Amino acid sequence: MSALDYLSAALLLLGFIFSLSGAIGLFRFPDFFTRIHASSVTDSSGAVCIILGLALQTNFDLVTVKLLFILFFLLLTGPTGSHALAKSARHGGLLTIPECQEKAKDGVS
Amino acid sequence: MYLAKWTILLAVFWLLLSGFMQPLLLSFGAISVAIVLLVIKRMDVIDEQPRTIGSPLAALIYIPWLLYQIFLSSIQVTRLIWTGKTKVSPSIAKLPVSSVPENKKVLYANSITLTPGTLSVDLDEEEVTVHALESSSIEELEQGGMADKIAKTWGKKNG
Repeated sequence: MSALDYLSAALLLLGFIFSLSGAIGLFRFPDFFTRIHASSVTDSSGAVCIILGLALQTNFDLVTVKLLFILFFLLLTGPTGSHALAKSARHGGLLTIPECQEKAKDGVS
Repeated sequence: MYLAKWTILLAVFWLLLSGFMQPLLLSFGAISVAIVLLVIKRMDVIDEQPRTIGSPLAALIYIPWLLYQIFLSSIQVTRLIWTGKTKVSPSIAKLPVSSVPENKKVLYANSITLTPGTLSVDLDEEEVTVHALESSSIEELEQGGMADKIAKTWGKKNG
């Protein structure tokens, strides 16, 4: 195995760890907004690491370029999707945890 | 001339995706580029957004910096995920976006969302609403590192 192979393997492993963490965070975090944060780890770091790791496995031809295009479009669409989800949740009246706590406090006093 | 820029961009994009060099397929590519250009031209009639394509040099400076930021905050969020949910103290705040050039506000909001731990919930002319997993990331954004970087990379006036 060459140095590039080791680098690629390390990146793939890192991407795997980030993706897994995102999935686990999705279940562990308490509310909707914090769960979006967990999924954005998979969205950004996981995707970046896996695609860069795969790009190092190619012969640096058109396939590499296509992988980089995929990465570019993922980086554009991922946050746009998260933003659309969060915005519609907020406009639909979903409260964040600090706002809920404030509301509960006001209700008691 | 922005249509010429679009022509070159689309042609390069088509060539990189296909890799075919036969005359028949190349002419198909030319036809698709022409159709897209026609659509762009017609869309300008109703669309008053700035229609220039910025210099790719600025993006080449900005993207590696952004990837580094993503990596740093990913590690932070990953640590939060594995150490337990009791420590999570989410907060929400409104940040001013006046220091960011007009046509880079979307990029700014997108960069905030792309960075794990912060999420742009709403964006309007003056401010962006940010939800953060930890209040420290809000403070970091308030210091304006990311906004400054965008303003510095693209420059204030031309964008």
